[in-house]
Amino acid sequence: MVETPFGDDDTASARGVVRVTTLVLVVVGLVVGVALAPQAWSFATQPDGNIAVVEIQGSITGETASGVVENLREARQNDSIEAVVLDVDSPGGTAAASEQLYLAVKRTAAEMPVVTSVTGTAASGSYYAAIPSEQIYVTPASVVGSVGVRATVPTSGSVEGEVVTGPDKNGGATEAEVYERVETLRRAFVGAVFAERGDRIDLTREEVSHAKVYSGAAGVENGLADEVGGVDTAVAAAADEAGLDDYRVTRMDAPQPSLLSQIGLSAEEAPDQPSTEQVFDYRGVDTVQYLMLHGTIRTTETETEVTANANA
Amino acid sequence: MRTRDVARGIGVVAVVAIVVLAATVAGGLLVSSPTNVGEAPTPDAYDTGSLDASPIASDGDVTAPDGESKTVVVDVSHGNDVSEDAIQPFVDALVESGHEVRFYGGSSSTGIGAPTQSGSPFNETLRSADALVVVSPAATYDDDEAAGVEAFADAGGRVLLAADPPTTTTSDQPISIPGLDTGGSVSAAGQPANLAGQFDVTFGNGYLYDMADNANNFQHVYASGDGGIADGVEDAILGGAVPLRTGPDASVVLSVGDAALSTTRETGSYAVAARTGNVIAVGDTDVLTSGMATTGDNDVLASNLAAFLVSGDKEPGEPSNGGTGGQPPTGSGAMIGSAASTGSAGMVTAAD
Repeated sequence: MVETPFGDDDTASARGVVRVTTLVLVVVGLVVGVALAPQAWSFATQPDGNIAVVEIQGSITGETASGVVENLREARQNDSIEAVVLDVDSPGGTAAASEQLYLAVKRTAAEMPVVTSVTGTAASGSYYAAIPSEQIYVTPASVVGSVGVRATVPTSGSVEGEVVTGPDKNGGATEAEVYERVETLRRAFVGAVFAERGDRIDLTREEVSHAKVYSGAAGVENGLADEVGGVDTAVAAAADEAGLDDYRVTRMDAPQPSLLSQIGLSAEEAPDQPSTEQVFDYRGVDTVQYLMLHGTIRTTETETEVTANANA
Repeated sequence: MRTRDVARGIGVVAVVAIVVLAATVAGGLLVSSPTNVGEAPTPDAYDTGSLDASPIASDGDVTAPDGESKTVVVDVSHGNDVSEDAIQPFVDALVESGHEVRFYGGSSSTGIGAPTQSGSPFNETLRSADALVVVSPAATYDDDEAAGVEAFADAGGRVLLAADPPTTTTSDQPISIPGLDTGGSVSAAGQPANLAGQFDVTFGNGYLYDMADNANNFQHVYASGDGGIADGVEDAILGGAVPLRTGPDASVVLSVGDAALSTTRETGSYAVAARTGNVIAVGDTDVLTSGMATTGDNDVLASNLAAFLVSGDKEPGEPSNGGTGGQPPTGSGAMIGSAASTGSAGMVTAAD
């Protein structure tokens, strides 16, 4: 009779250990699998990319423009954002801030599709910001245009007893120089419009310089806008430009000017409808303001002289 | 032995930690992508030599011819939108050439432009004057005054009528009317319509503009003409000029070509100055003002206007109608000038 190295009991014991070990591993595998399942599900179902809807709404000031520029920078730096839709409803604002927006949108458009949806008004400075977009969507009631600049020149003289170091310290420029600067800004504005959309605009530079605002439908006809459509249409167009079949929309709200900046230095006298100089930070010192703003200037003094290159 | 084991353990831990950290850094570098790639695109519209607007030459002088001293009356009694300060270059040129400039502010006893039983003080003033300047009046010249101006011109007196588009200043002080919240409105500057109408000239409404060829602003249009007050004027620059319509007795002496009118948007050539005998109407007041009197060829135009005013040959004592018998105005605040605040007769004259 030949004896095996292990007895039957030993063999059975080894098989038991293997089964238990296998069972333990299966359980561990299940636990690990269940633990990772949400991530796996998320990975399997995640969109191809995100579309950021960046709001440009309200008056454009240095403060609000900085917020929009920051939103656009974030859109460029966030790998998950594949396209940007500008939600524009603004009458414009200061010339310098509007130019900042134009440059920021232009830079963003160089890196990813940018489509604009005019949800109300894209006039003057806000239209300036929108022109680098690949497409500008409007509705029949929305308005576009007002390509022009104006300067508000304070009429008050020097303060009694004031000592200044130069003849232009008070006003900053002579009247002729204000005209020159307004004309220079107009040339830059109109030039930018034609540089970005010259192949689509069916107007002359002189006609654009009239600073007329057009309804959305008229804007599509003359090339200041591209198509009629709402925000969702603009988002779909941006997704299509970015090659996204499955995408998520992320809205970046428009920064609002702080209350203090709207009312200058006095928070106690906050008016219901702040005047134009209060919105644009005159802050108690009258200076020549260069504005790319559509509409009638609302002043606290009727004597404020407005030098308009066109009826911006 | 025990110390050695501890050191070895610490070493192993340190090596493992370094390997893990190195692997993490390397993985991060491999996986991460640059967050701010690419240079900002250069805006083509900002990169052009034609972006900067060229300054408009402003280096001339307004002059007036020497000769027999003439009296030029500038009417400010009808709410005229003009002051000695506003037309300083024009006044200076006349005074420097030996002429007398009076700013007539009306009679305090009779009110602005109102005729009296003894006649209109406005017409009394004209009797001792050789030339009259009327700029953007807010009030209408009554029939007596209009007849006086016509007689003044018929007698050889020179008249300059100048006006911009009529403007209104809107007050932001709401008028408290229940159910109606509106701003107040007051006329700030008008046009001497009835005076000009006597001489076959009417001032238009709206302003002229040129979007393509202008002096750094669409409202700053170029005007030119042949001979007369346009002699030597190739590029006068008018700011917000109003077009004139002329009748058969008037002749256009200055016009703007290829401009558009703000009210109709029609493009064409528009008359901006016209002459009827001893009367010249100009559809712009900026050419007389300090800000624009020397811009472009405006100094030539303003000098020609000054020469026109002092080169007449007016019969003394006219207009005789509506007056008190040809007596020159005296005292009681009939004249204002540099001493306007005192209410006494004031005038700007040559200091000789």
